Amino acid sequence: MGTIDIAFSSLFFSFFLLGIPILLSLKYGFGIIKPLLFAVFRMCIQLILIGIFLKYLFHWNNSLINVCWIIVMVTVAVFSVLKDSALKIKKVFFPVFISFLITIFSVVVYLNIMVIKLTNIFDAKYLIILSGMLLGSSLRGSIIGISHFYKSIKKDSKRFLYVLSLGADRNEAILPYLKESVQLALKPSIATMATIGIVALPGMMTGVILGGASPLVAIKYQIMIMVSVVACASSTVILSILMTLKICFNKYGILQMEVFTDFGKNNGKKRNT
Amino acid sequence: MIKLKNVKLSFSGKKVIDNISFEVKPGEKIILSGKSGSGKSTVFNMILGFVQPDSGEILFDAEKLDEKHVWEVRKKISYIDQESSLGIGNTLDYLMFISELKTNAQKEFSSNRINELIEYFELENEVLNKNLEELSGGERQRIAIIISILLERKVFLLDEVTSAIDVSLKKKVAEYYLDKDDWTCLIISHDPIWLESSNTKIFEMETCTWAQ
Repeated sequence: MGTIDIAFSSLFFSFFLLGIPILLSLKYGFGIIKPLLFAVFRMCIQLILIGIFLKYLFHWNNSLINVCWIIVMVTVAVFSVLKDSALKIKKVFFPVFISFLITIFSVVVYLNIMVIKLTNIFDAKYLIILSGMLLGSSLRGSIIGISHFYKSIKKDSKRFLYVLSLGADRNEAILPYLKESVQLALKPSIATMATIGIVALPGMMTGVILGGASPLVAIKYQIMIMVSVVACASSTVILSILMTLKICFNKYGILQMEVFTDFGKNNGKKRNT
Repeated sequence: MIKLKNVKLSFSGKKVIDNISFEVKPGEKIILSGKSGSGKSTVFNMILGFVQPDSGEILFDAEKLDEKHVWEVRKKISYIDQESSLGIGNTLDYLMFISELKTNAQKEFSSNRINELIEYFELENEVLNKNLEELSGGERQRIAIIISILLERKVFLLDEVTSAIDVSLKKKVAEYYLDKDDWTCLIISHDPIWLESSNTKIFEMETCTWAQ
């Protein structure tokens, strides 16, 4: 039992549904028509391209190309999310990128070997799709965690300095903030886990079921994914923080204001006099 | 003990510290005096390595303060900042957090000792169960003072530690620090009580001289 294909002409009908937000916006003046249409346009282009691209990736199924594609995915994902964070991309991109790449890659390879037991662990279908899912679901939380870590130390700078003055080494001083940030990063995935299946049918399951598999197969994949997302989110947030410490703190253990995007906007750094 | 040699620091083009030199000998009690903005707190921040001077040097125990030495220096100093910036959450938990830092492993943070100090500085015992952010300014200051004592260190950097404390108690606090012969104290305070003591020397920040 395969999935029923949707003709492009029929897909057109789904766009009529956009009439609902557009009419509402016209009537109540939400002002969302332009950004909405732009987003829909972007989405279509991106998905069409990725659709074509994935078709070829699956067709070639070359391990090297698959791995390269993962690197591209991680690059774009980290870049797009860091763009909105409080930190300067060029300062922290590399360590965050490495943290995500190591984590996503090892978790997916682990799943392919130990859970799915693939003969070719670099099989495009599994490697790329699972990486995409894990990346998409853990990225947001991780970046929230990383941002929170640096923002709260910045906000708490006096308290942080006081702890240093008490004789704490850098790791002791950052520990409370690290704990808080990991908790925050895991919150979304833990919350989703607790309500999944009741409130929303997750994308992975929808895909697997529409793809013709039994719901029982679908839930097994879903369980595997949910557990892996938490693993990825915690690993990426901790690795990213640990790997950015050297860049963001000087050797005196002081957080460098230069790493923040708003540095220089309010006449630079603030100091006590 | 602590020595500043021709220390200069500008910030965004503005001179914060302009060529300051002075020395603090063991056991001395020194008051940094000067208008607000004269860089008094910055001197503390520099001694603790929170800010580095543009030129000149700072010596602690005759050794230049650098990125390695600073971590040892911090372990020898008890510092209280202007706002008594303690952490957040339960007071007793915070005291335990401090006592669990590696460097404080040998210090006695026993409940007897804590209660003794709480009583001495006229705090209610319940403060220990309250959250730090709920304490009044004066209570927080006294907790910071108690911590500085519990650390059992010999060098104190005290930035306005009596500003929110009742007049009657200010004297008790000042005397507590000033009466210890082997404690070296650098003090910033607008409270005359510190100046009244014959033990203290006053360093004028603006003129870079010792007051008579």
